[in-house]
Amino acid sequence: QKVSVEVLDHLEHLALVDFRDSEGVERLQKAIQFADQLLEVNTDGVEPMDSVLEDRWCLYLREDDVTEGNCTKELLENAREKVEEYFVAPPGNIPLSKLEERETFLQGS
Amino acid sequence: LAPWIPVVGLEIHAQISSNSKLFSGSQVQFAAPPNSLVSFFDASLPGTLPVLNRRCVEAAVMTGLALNCSINKKSLFDRKHYFYADLPAGYQITQQRVPIAVNGSLSYSLCIDNKMSQMVTKTVRIKQIQLEQDSGKSLHDDTRCQTLVDLNRAGVGLMEVVMEPDMCCGEEAAAAVRELQLILQTLGSSQAVMAEGQLRVDANVSVHHPGEPYGVRTEVKNINSIRFLAKAVDYEIQRQIEELENGGTILNETRAFDSKLGCTVPMRDKEGKQDYRFMPEPNLPPLILYDAKSLPANMNHQQVINIDWIHERLPDLPSVKREKLVEQYGILPEHSFTLL
Repeated sequence: QKVSVEVLDHLEHLALVDFRDSEGVERLQKAIQFADQLLEVNTDGVEPMDSVLEDRWCLYLREDDVTEGNCTKELLENAREKVEEYFVAPPGNIPLSKLEERETFLQGS
Repeated sequence: LAPWIPVVGLEIHAQISSNSKLFSGSQVQFAAPPNSLVSFFDASLPGTLPVLNRRCVEAAVMTGLALNCSINKKSLFDRKHYFYADLPAGYQITQQRVPIAVNGSLSYSLCIDNKMSQMVTKTVRIKQIQLEQDSGKSLHDDTRCQTLVDLNRAGVGLMEVVMEPDMCCGEEAAAAVRELQLILQTLGSSQAVMAEGQLRVDANVSVHHPGEPYGVRTEVKNINSIRFLAKAVDYEIQRQIEELENGGTILNETRAFDSKLGCTVPMRDKEGKQDYRFMPEPNLPPLILYDAKSLPANMNHQQVINIDWIHERLPDLPSVKREKLVEQYGILPEHSFTLL
């Protein structure tokens, strides 16, 4: 069962993963097939497991003390662009190029 | 013309009153130099991990108890994925599968007429309360076509209180939120000052004819005061009724309230239905809470949260204080509402 172009487009929007060429799409198909094996197991009435550690994994609770922060300079060193201690970002989410443009790119490789 | 029944539900985000953030040790403070209250975790630098703040859990339990909720002794954390500049990790840690509290109720009062001479009590069901992270703040600079991002708010603890669609107009929504605000301030779990962004309200509005199924609902955001909440809800109800009576349809969309124009407008940047790809937060095990019966014998006290201990120490809620005032001083119930 092949992954449709619409699903591919949807995934690229959600995860910003570029499937770039047919090899990438093939890898995705194989990954889905591999994961589909899970569906063969009957899990009716079985609670999903979050971690193999189960009850032995205790959530650590931290005291409400201020112990971090005040490292503006260090954090801004990672910023490509900054304005007076603010990070600079584009005005909104940059929409992915239209599906048709990406499709021709896919075929071209 | 057949009558219309408006249906209003609310999603309220209350910032938790704590010294430090939900999953990190950076300070929680309104109005500080940009990006000065940000840890490596808040900035989503690789290799950092969330560590849950005990005080935030206590605040959520207190609030759940005050709203007559069942407290889930085991609740879970999840990731909600979406892209935005003020969400550096690309996901928010929230509680989508099993939140900390469910199935509560909130009673509030309304004046039947404008003269405060007769009050009626209404109840709204609380669907759930969940713990989640706040995002950073985006300042839009349209002239230079850019957004400035301040992460001071990123990671601050929030309680999301979901109210079922039991309300029918702006006045009811406003009264319910006002009472919730008073309760939160009495508990101290949130200072709930809307002007400082400590209490944010989104309204879900739809209309339908009696006997027919619920209509398509819209979500209204950008409501900055309780007064505007009432206006926004009433405007949206009217807009939907007019649209439907003119043969139009209601889109399941997100709209923003424009306080200057007093109307709601479609929000940009919300193309189609969002797919948040929820998944369990792999870095956090379940949150386990205890009560007097289930208290573990040999565990460090600091690591144990006892629901019954918190219950015993809840202060008198506004409704109880009002009753006491009426009893003690013989004043009219309506006047107790003026006082509290």
